[in-house]
Amino acid sequence: MDRAIRVDRLSRSYGKRPGIEEITFSVEPGEVVGLLGPNGAGKTTTLRILAGIIPPTSGRATVAGIPLSQPERLHQAVGLLPEAPGFYERATAWRNLVYFARFYDGVCVEGRVEACLKRFDLWERRDDRVAGYSRGMKLRLALARALVHEPPVLLLDEPTAGLDPEAARDVRDLIRSLAREGRVILLSTHNLTEAEELCARVALIRTRLLAYGPPLGLRDRAAPPVVVVRLEGPAEVSPGLTALPFVRSARAHGDRLQVELASQADRPALVEALVRAGARVLEVTEERPSLEAAYLELVHDERRPA
Amino acid sequence: MNSRIQNVLAHEWRHLAGSVSNLLYVTVIPFLLTGEALLVIALVHRFAGSAIVQSGALTSMLDRMAAQVPILSAASREEQVLAFLVYQFSFFSLLVPAMIANVFATLSLVEEKLSRILEPLLATPVRTWELLLGKALAGAIPAILVSWLCTGLFLAAGTGLGWGVAIQAVLTSGWLLSVLLLAPIVALASFLVGIVGSARATDPKGAQAAAIFLVLPIFGLIALQATGAIWFSAGIVLLLAAALALVDLLLLRMAVRLFSRETVVIRWR
Repeated sequence: MDRAIRVDRLSRSYGKRPGIEEITFSVEPGEVVGLLGPNGAGKTTTLRILAGIIPPTSGRATVAGIPLSQPERLHQAVGLLPEAPGFYERATAWRNLVYFARFYDGVCVEGRVEACLKRFDLWERRDDRVAGYSRGMKLRLALARALVHEPPVLLLDEPTAGLDPEAARDVRDLIRSLAREGRVILLSTHNLTEAEELCARVALIRTRLLAYGPPLGLRDRAAPPVVVVRLEGPAEVSPGLTALPFVRSARAHGDRLQVELASQADRPALVEALVRAGARVLEVTEERPSLEAAYLELVHDERRPA
Repeated sequence: MNSRIQNVLAHEWRHLAGSVSNLLYVTVIPFLLTGEALLVIALVHRFAGSAIVQSGALTSMLDRMAAQVPILSAASREEQVLAFLVYQFSFFSLLVPAMIANVFATLSLVEEKLSRILEPLLATPVRTWELLLGKALAGAIPAILVSWLCTGLFLAAGTGLGWGVAIQAVLTSGWLLSVLLLAPIVALASFLVGIVGSARATDPKGAQAAAIFLVLPIFGLIALQATGAIWFSAGIVLLLAAALALVDLLLLRMAVRLFSRETVVIRWR
């Protein structure tokens, strides 16, 4: 059985306004993929379509091998953590989970609810009303609810939004452990550090897919890495250096040369050329743009008129 | 009934039972209304019965009633006036299912809407019709039972107050049909009006305001009956039930469309 998420040219519009346009990506079992993008970029729309809550306007997708045209089977296979995970506040955590668990086929309700509450460290507070829970506890309860039917696929909409650093770290640890179990996890986030830390691949969307791949590749795509060469003595940019065919640009700053290369494979050739020109090279390092810088670069590129 | 509908039904009842104010609303107000009806009938009959007879205002109506109900033809004018007053309770009792079912629908849906529970709920395999039917039954069953219970209490109390002839006289097929048949239809309509109202409302009171569209026609029926403009025979009550059932169908269609997953997550704010 195909457990992955496969999205092929998926589009959804709201009247004349496009929600998402021809988005294509995939998420493999055991993988966490992040949806990045500014507000209104279509992250939540994508998750809702894949959860079988709203239909796409065009395009195809399968979730755990189930096409979007079979929403009832889809609901059975997907655990959704919505952006605002609401609860019956006057009911207990136990009661909330039991109510949701009973909608799924083949779930041993009480056993699963107990296992989920224990896993998310809420067992001791199971008989408390949810109204008395902290935001972090509510988020853990929402994750427990998303997992109560043991779905192979998890869709998480901003799972750490509004949490304090400690609670956010706990949730990230939980997501990692869920991925290790072989689940397919697609999450949307504004937190770029989190995306870099958790996700094997990220899809940067702004209605359309702007970039898709490992966070490192996304950074390289936005701005190629710069090689920093520390020299013995003051550095200067010679005409010979800029004339090298693989050098895109070069800057001198104190005893350092910052050189942007066509490819990282050209690093040995650069060092060789510098040594041949009489420079004494002390250190060669690579300077990469942050994911945030890459994100802003890509999003701003998209905003610029063609 | 499938297990998902049972789940919704049990949840709704458990949830409502958790709120003392809601429980009081369901239990106390209908009985207060019944008590009020008994009191008004007793007072009007005691202090204004003779005046009504002497004024002749209801003469043609009382004659028509006596012609339809044999037991009244031998009764005194005062007893006929009492029977006429008791007769009004059939439509008055429809206010009970109208209120209770509407309150159930709006409290449940508006809370779910405001607490943002609907999106995770609609991500489960529960079908829209199962969710709506479970909620409708949760509101309609107590509304109908309380309405019938109030009618039973009204009849028992009336008999206890010595209104035996009047009670016997009004227990016509038309009166019984209006109590037994119209109550479930009105309860369903009231629930559906609650759903339609909840789609736009930001609090339960706002959603309940839509119930006015149901309560006003009931008052219209009471007025038609009280003024003697229409004698609600079994045939007319059946016609009325059919018309109301048609309204229920239209409201159901509207509610199902309003409650579709897509509409709820995109438009309900």
